[in-house]
Amino acid sequence: MSGSDLQFTFDDQIITAKSGQSVGAALLAADVRKLRTTRFDQNPRGVFCGIGVCFDCLVVIDGIASQRACIVEVKPGMKVQTQVGSNA
Amino acid sequence: MHNVVIIGTGPAGLSAALSAAAAGAPVLLLDNNPRLGGQYWRTFTEDTEHEQSQHFDLETGLILINAVKARKEIEVWSGAQIWSASHQQGVNTLRVIYKGVEKIINTKNLVICTGAYDRTLPFPGWDIPGVMTPGGVQSLLKGHGVLAGKKVVVAGSGPFLLPVAAGVIKAGGSVLELLEANKSHRWLLSPLTLLENIAKFKEAFYYIKTISAGKVRARFGQAVVAAHRGDHGELESVDIAVINRNFKVKKIRNVKCDVAAIGWGFTADTSIAGALGCVQVIAKDDGVVVSVDNDQQTSIPGVFAAGEITGIGGSDLSMAEGVIAGLAAAKYVGCDVNVLKVHRKRRAKKQRFADALIKSYPVKAGWKSWLNDQTIICRCEEVDLSDLKHAIEELGATDSRTAKLLTRCGMGLCQGRVCGRSVVDLVASEIKISPTDTDRISAVNRPIISPIPLGVLAAGE
Repeated sequence: MSGSDLQFTFDDQIITAKSGQSVGAALLAADVRKLRTTRFDQNPRGVFCGIGVCFDCLVVIDGIASQRACIVEVKPGMKVQTQVGSNA
Repeated sequence: MHNVVIIGTGPAGLSAALSAAAAGAPVLLLDNNPRLGGQYWRTFTEDTEHEQSQHFDLETGLILINAVKARKEIEVWSGAQIWSASHQQGVNTLRVIYKGVEKIINTKNLVICTGAYDRTLPFPGWDIPGVMTPGGVQSLLKGHGVLAGKKVVVAGSGPFLLPVAAGVIKAGGSVLELLEANKSHRWLLSPLTLLENIAKFKEAFYYIKTISAGKVRARFGQAVVAAHRGDHGELESVDIAVINRNFKVKKIRNVKCDVAAIGWGFTADTSIAGALGCVQVIAKDDGVVVSVDNDQQTSIPGVFAAGEITGIGGSDLSMAEGVIAGLAAAKYVGCDVNVLKVHRKRRAKKQRFADALIKSYPVKAGWKSWLNDQTIICRCEEVDLSDLKHAIEELGATDSRTAKLLTRCGMGLCQGRVCGRSVVDLVASEIKISPTDTDRISAVNRPIISPIPLGVLAAGE
């Protein structure tokens, strides 16, 4: 059932989300807009298309880089980090 | 009897599944979202009363979704990610990641209803966090119950801006500006269609009522032409221009906001159909779409397509096409069923409305004058306009494919889904020619449908 509260972390900050939400949506709800910096110009990027098309909202989730925050469903205890460059 | 395999569960996919199942065909319905309904009927909770507030017509969606769930002939795979599609000797092969494992589907019969996503145009600052697509803002509201920001500017062109603005207001946000780049009287270009589809205007009035209650007045002939970041690197304000009929800037004012939702209609997602080898053509809005016959059959016998991927036209046209595609696919696998005249008549009426929409909300060439040399064109590979110009002026690129190879423009993770269409227009405009159909179609050619972790493949069946 979507909508019950859960917690995860973003760069050590504890964030409360609702189950069924995407990582990106939960972060926006917590007023977090910058999700990564680009490989060449180190510019901040965030959620743009919101439906998995543009690959701009990339974050590191539980150690795995380049995941689309807008389509990965948030889970309790998830460790989400800002992606710096390609994080490779 | 073979399965009818259907991809997508928006208005077209759901309609196709129901009509194929009703004709007696077993259906396998694949969708990459966690819940049925596609982008149009995207929902977050089971609490339908709460959900209604973000929808004009969720009722129709729920009727179709519940009917699909009730039909035992329809097997549904939600959250199925198709990463590769190919066609060989009459057999279509789909490689799908479902529940963490790769499954391979071989089928002679397929109905593709993969829909569309927002068409965007590059402009200075469009990569700043806070600049989003209207579809993105709406999907956050419908699918996650999240308002993207409190002070929102909604801009671009097309009727889709209305439900997005209304959705923001209903969720408690302020719409500071609602800007339509075209003039409102363009609808007078299609007077007969207006009369024929008068019911469609109920929908427009429904949104306008909410928008007016939010004390927002739509402005026509205006557009967001630049975005600016604050000290924290996030969106702080946008430049709004009064533009002429060709989208050239006349005068500019600055408005502070935390979200700018900007879209220019839609781009069909033809990736799977294109990978199979279905013939694609250029629609009246210059977008690439899948070519279909009177039965919604593509150039590959047994492969059908319905909904936005055959031409942008909205949910009503998608449903009408989906019904026909489902029936024709069922007939193809041996069911005793025929597409009726009444189905084609309904589709034709909705098609006339879709044509009028395209005519009313054009994207005019003047948008290119909003850019400067430092404007990012390819967000993934951080290619700016000066890089593109360099490839043309110094390296001799005369088509978008060469420019792409020389700059990596459109070669990033999104595989040109976001910038591909604009790059074709920009390159052609720099060398003062019109883009060819081949150029436009090659820009949507994607060998991989969706990138996936290699570990999943290693663990596949």
